[in-house]
Amino acid sequence: MSTRLRRSALLFVLAVLAVAGSGCATAKVQPWDRDLMARETMRFAPSKIESGTDDHIYFSKEGSVGGLGVGGGGCGCN
Amino acid sequence: MTPPTLERGEDFWVGRFAAMGGPCEVLLDLDDRDEALALVACAQDEALRIEHKFSRYRADNIIDRINRAGGEPVEVDAETARLLDYAALCHEMSAGRFDITSGVLRRVWTFDGGARVPDEAALRDVLALVGWERVTWRTPVLTMPPGMEIDLGGIGKEYAVDSAAALLARRTSSALVVNFGGDLYATGPRRGGRPWAIGVDDPERTGQGVLDRVDLTRGGLATSGDARRFVTWQGRRLGHILDPRTGWPIEGAPRAVTVIASTCLEAGTLSTLASLQGPGAAEFLRDSGVEFRIH
Amino acid sequence: MQLAAPERGLAARRRIAAAACALIAAAVPTAAHSQEATGSWTLDTSILLYGEQDRTEIFEPVARISRLFSNGHRLSGQFAYDAITGASPTGALPSGQLQTTTTPSGNTVTIAAGAVPTNEFQDQRFALDGEWEAPLARTLKSTLGAHYSSETDYMSLGGSASASYEIMDRLTTLTAGMGYNADKVSPIGGTRTGLSDGTVAVQGLDNPKNVTSGMLGVSHILSRRWLVGLSGTLQAEDGYLTDPYKVVSLVDSTTLEVSGQLTEKRPDKRQRASLLFSSVYHLNEDVFYFSLRGYSDDWNVRSGTLDLRLRHELANGKYLQPHVRYYSQSQADFYVPGLIAGQALPAYASADYRIGPLRTGTLGLTYGFHVKGMPGTVSLRAEYLRQWLATPGGEGEGEGGGGDDDRAAGGGEVRAGPVTTATIDPASIQSNMPPLNIGSFLIGYTVNF
Repeated sequence: MSTRLRRSALLFVLAVLAVAGSGCATAKVQPWDRDLMARETMRFAPSKIESGTDDHIYFSKEGSVGGLGVGGGGCGCN
Repeated sequence: MTPPTLERGEDFWVGRFAAMGGPCEVLLDLDDRDEALALVACAQDEALRIEHKFSRYRADNIIDRINRAGGEPVEVDAETARLLDYAALCHEMSAGRFDITSGVLRRVWTFDGGARVPDEAALRDVLALVGWERVTWRTPVLTMPPGMEIDLGGIGKEYAVDSAAALLARRTSSALVVNFGGDLYATGPRRGGRPWAIGVDDPERTGQGVLDRVDLTRGGLATSGDARRFVTWQGRRLGHILDPRTGWPIEGAPRAVTVIASTCLEAGTLSTLASLQGPGAAEFLRDSGVEFRIH
Repeated sequence: MQLAAPERGLAARRRIAAAACALIAAAVPTAAHSQEATGSWTLDTSILLYGEQDRTEIFEPVARISRLFSNGHRLSGQFAYDAITGASPTGALPSGQLQTTTTPSGNTVTIAAGAVPTNEFQDQRFALDGEWEAPLARTLKSTLGAHYSSETDYMSLGGSASASYEIMDRLTTLTAGMGYNADKVSPIGGTRTGLSDGTVAVQGLDNPKNVTSGMLGVSHILSRRWLVGLSGTLQAEDGYLTDPYKVVSLVDSTTLEVSGQLTEKRPDKRQRASLLFSSVYHLNEDVFYFSLRGYSDDWNVRSGTLDLRLRHELANGKYLQPHVRYYSQSQADFYVPGLIAGQALPAYASADYRIGPLRTGTLGLTYGFHVKGMPGTVSLRAEYLRQWLATPGGEGEGEGGGGDDDRAAGGGEVRAGPVTTATIDPASIQSNMPPLNIGSFLIGYTVNF
């Protein structure tokens, strides 16, 4: 792996630890305050089909990959 | 199953149906009639589902299986397990006054306003079948001595209110109130930020007088009361809330105690625990820091 | 019989409150499961109408059906069909002369002077996806996925597995996943030798392209209204990564006119990494979605993506969701708008603007509503995309690559090899590809039953 990639990977691990660690520092969300989070709109990608369609469009029109998950398929659209 | 009725209020819909042994209502702060009907139907489905699952009057549900197990262990599902965990917590916190095995006491007490009280021997025999501490509960298996029964009536309705409200809240962002026989939950303020105006019914004059009014924007509200079913004995009026430790009614419990809390179940539990304190109800609620009304 | 004192006070009340809320929070999914007649099936459908100005048009219906079982398992299946027609840029530079291009299917297309040379094509693609979510424990969930897709010149077969683990009172979720794709590229007209005049093509070759990916993510509920997440992906590609139909123009050093073209050639390995930060924030009624993604690979393509959406709730369950996205990319090491005729060839070269210094801007609006008397939600989404190439002069870091980049020795440096009589700086060749306007319309329908 190139140094640049290695550097990015290290940065990522630090970022994950920072986010996970900050979770302990902030005030804990009580169970009775979990109402909004139960809603279907409170997710990173509320519509699987829509985000799948967008991922496919941008994958074929741009040079980057990477979203919320793994898997999915390739296509000849490069 | 009779479909619910739908009526238009000032700027909200009111759906009504019967479940859990009484009248049920859903108030919806929206305008679309079809959406309102769908939501009320959903609340009705959930109320009936919980009623059928946990009612002690049905011959085919988990409660019946538990009550007829004759001492054999019974494995329960996740939802029943959660309710049993909750009941166990209430038993522990009330030092035994809240007890879901106390239902068998109804065999010796009849609260019809008359003067009949059980004799000592009969009461002693029944008391031998009361006591959550006699039950072995290790999730998900419940083992109960034969002859004992559990009755989730004390938490079932409040649980149904919260569950139905949560289900509806996932389907609509409009504010709504789920009210099953006086135990209710409001998901948020009406349009314009206005609260829901809840009237506390006067138990002496049902449907005619309102003792108090609560403005509720979000949260649960439950009322526990000793007014309607009672026995008169030696010139004293004994309410129907029994102390499972003695088998006798709690004396001096308030006629009606209304608690407002973050969920209907919490409100109902606190109002029941307060009533179980008898004359100490008001102090108990004051100490807990919760909003309440006592009459 | 002990008549002990009960617990009381604030602490007691908090305990009851927490227990009651936890009961409901855990119960609502159960209520949904056990209603076999309502709510356990979900049908998600959409039709995409996509059109690029003077270029590609796509018609893509997709249907996804999902069932939640009473034991908590969820099975989903998705079927997509793509009908693609239109013209795709070949990578050749527009010229002052008429230029003829050979297309993969053997036809020749005469390009009007100055127009961007494109290939006409028509293709159909079928894709099948399956997914199985299984709860392994109260806080542990596994997901297995499979994918198959097929088009005239491409076949993709892949699988993925991931697990998510909730910690800290289920406020934080850790996710890890791996995926593997075994794709095959079977170019129409055969596989042409890279950086050649394209006349030699090996027929019947199914060029493999294997993709291995791994992902790690963490999401956390910061407050009652705020959910944030960070996820990182690493992807390694191995095999045929060249675009079989694209070419690089050869520019005559004296006349400054396009004098010929070569097929493009890309390395057969690519390592990619991306980091995505997402945030979902619930206002009074509306929800604000924010995401920022950084990407980098060993072809030296680096990009940043900013995506903002605001779901604005209207009365009656309707909503309006505006959307803005901005994407900025730096070019690959071996990206060249053109090569100087007569100079030594680099190891790799591609004029595909999609690995060039690209910018994409997106503006969209979605309108969602219920149809009276019909269950489910309908959504109509209109989006406008605009792609343009940034001027190469502003992409200083994109040139030359890192010293530790051992890929394509001399790659990207058209100056590699003995310099002949080149009188012009090859870096002065610029692609004058005009900005591309794209419009898309997505009709969606989701229903629970």
